[in-house]
Amino acid sequence: MDDTPEVRGCVLPLHLHYSVTDHTWLLIQEDGIATIGMTDVAQNLAGPLLHAKPKKVGAKRSKGKPVATVESSKWVGPVKSPISGEVVEVNAELAKDATIINKSPYKAGWIVRMKPSNLDAEMDGLLTGQAAVDAYKERIEREDLKPCTHVEGFEI
Amino acid sequence: MSAIRLIDAGRVSHLRSQTLYHGLAHARTDDSPNTVVLATPAEPYVCIGYHQDVEREVDVEFCQRQGLPILRRETGGGVVYLDDQQLFVQWIMAPLSLPPRVDQRFELFCRPLVDTYRDFGIDATLRPINDVHAGGRKISGTGAAQIGNAEVLTGNFLFDFDTSIMAGIVQAPSETFRAQVAHSLQRYMTSMRRELDAIPARDEVAHSYARRCADALDCELVAGELTDSEVHEIERQDERLGKANFLHQPGRMRRGGVKIHEDVWVVEAEHDLDECRVRLTARLREHRIEELELNSAPSELATALTGVVLQPGPVRRALNGYNTKRAASLDVTAWAEALLELDPTAT
Repeated sequence: MDDTPEVRGCVLPLHLHYSVTDHTWLLIQEDGIATIGMTDVAQNLAGPLLHAKPKKVGAKRSKGKPVATVESSKWVGPVKSPISGEVVEVNAELAKDATIINKSPYKAGWIVRMKPSNLDAEMDGLLTGQAAVDAYKERIEREDLKPCTHVEGFEI
Repeated sequence: MSAIRLIDAGRVSHLRSQTLYHGLAHARTDDSPNTVVLATPAEPYVCIGYHQDVEREVDVEFCQRQGLPILRRETGGGVVYLDDQQLFVQWIMAPLSLPPRVDQRFELFCRPLVDTYRDFGIDATLRPINDVHAGGRKISGTGAAQIGNAEVLTGNFLFDFDTSIMAGIVQAPSETFRAQVAHSLQRYMTSMRRELDAIPARDEVAHSYARRCADALDCELVAGELTDSEVHEIERQDERLGKANFLHQPGRMRRGGVKIHEDVWVVEAEHDLDECRVRLTARLREHRIEELELNSAPSELATALTGVVLQPGPVRRALNGYNTKRAASLDVTAWAEALLELDPTAT
C-alpha cells in the first residue's frame, strides 16, 4: 500500500494520527513526546503563510486549545492541539520563514512538541492509517474542497 | 442559510468598534445567528494586526502627540488608521456557512463592498486576494480571523482618508522613507471623496451595502439586537483589548517595508557599497522599481534603475549598462544583491 496516499492531491501520510476536524497531525516519538503540525489540507486552505506564532515552551494546553496561531493573507487562525499537554519545544525556524509549513507540512514545518498529559484517552479521538484517509476523503468531498496544490520544493 | 442578523451599531467608541466583533465571535454558539455588523468609530485611532509588534510598526510618540489611541486586533494584516470617515463592516459567521479557503472567503466578502461602491458610481474591482481597488488605488481594507467558534471578516468603506496622518503613524527608519510613504499613499489610496464630487450619506451606503450583502450571501438580512450574553462578552473584550499588556505583547516584524496596497510597497535598506554607506529608499510596484532614492550615489544611477524589475537578470543588465554608459565601476554583484533584497515579496 502507498504510505503517502493523496485525496484530491492532498497528501496524508499513513503513519501519522490526525484530528480531521481541526486539520492537525500528531506523531508520538519513542520518548513519548508528541510532534504536532498542520495537515497538507490546512496549509492549502490557508494559502502562503506569513507568520506562525507557537505558544511558549512551558505552556499547558488542553485538547482543542490553540498551540499556535498562523497568518496568511490577513487571515489569522489557530492551530488547535489534538491532545492535552505541555509545550516542550517550538519550531524556531518558523519565526524566520512560516512558509516552511507550506513547503513541508509533515517534516520541517512541524509546529510544537508536547509532553502529553492524557494521551491514552485522547488518542481514541484521533484517526490514523486508512481510517484517517477515508475520513478526510469524506470531509473533502462533503465540503467540496479544491484540490491541494504544492509550492516548488514541497516535500512529503 | 437562515436569515442573517444585521446590527447597525451607528457611531461607537473606538474601542467598541473593535470589541463588537471580537465579543460576538467569542460569544458565538451553535445557536447564534450569522451576523453582519455596521459601525463607525466616533474618534480616530490606530489599530495593529494580531501578529504585529506595536513598537516596531507604530511611531508611538507621534500617536501620543496626536492623541491617537492604539489597539491590537485579532484579525490579520498591518497597521491602519481608522476614524469617523469610515464605515466598518464586520461578518461574524459559522465557519461552515463560508467558503473553506481563505481566498474564496475574501472573494465573497469583497463582493458586496465592490457592488456598493459601484452603486455610487465608483468603478471598484476586487484585487485578489483581499483588496478593493478603484482605478488602481486601494479603497477598502480587509482582515479576517477564526475567533472562538466564528469566522470573522472585517472591512471598511472609505468616505475620506487622511494620508498624511497615516504616513505619520508608521514607524519609519528615515524621513526620506516617511516622505515616500506619504507620497505613495497619496498616489495609491483613494476614497469616496476623491472619486466622487460629494460624499454620500453614511446611511445610504449602509442601506446599499445591506442589500448587496444579502445578494452576495443569497440570504435575507434582518435587523436584530445583541443578546445579554453577547453584551457581557463585548464588555469583557472592552477590558481585554483595552489593556496595555494585550497591546504590547511581543509580535514579529512584518516583511520589511510598508505595504501600500497589494501591488505596492515602500521599502528601505542600508548597505556598504563601493566603500560608501548607501541608503536605498524605493517604491516597488509589482516587483518593479517605480521610484528610487539613493542618499550617497549619483542621481543618474537611481534614474537608470527606475523601472527595472527586481530579478537578477534585469538588475545586473541595468547595472552593467550604467557602468558602460557612464564609464563607472560599480560593484555589480554587491549592488545587485542589495537591490534584490529590497523586494519583501520575492519568493
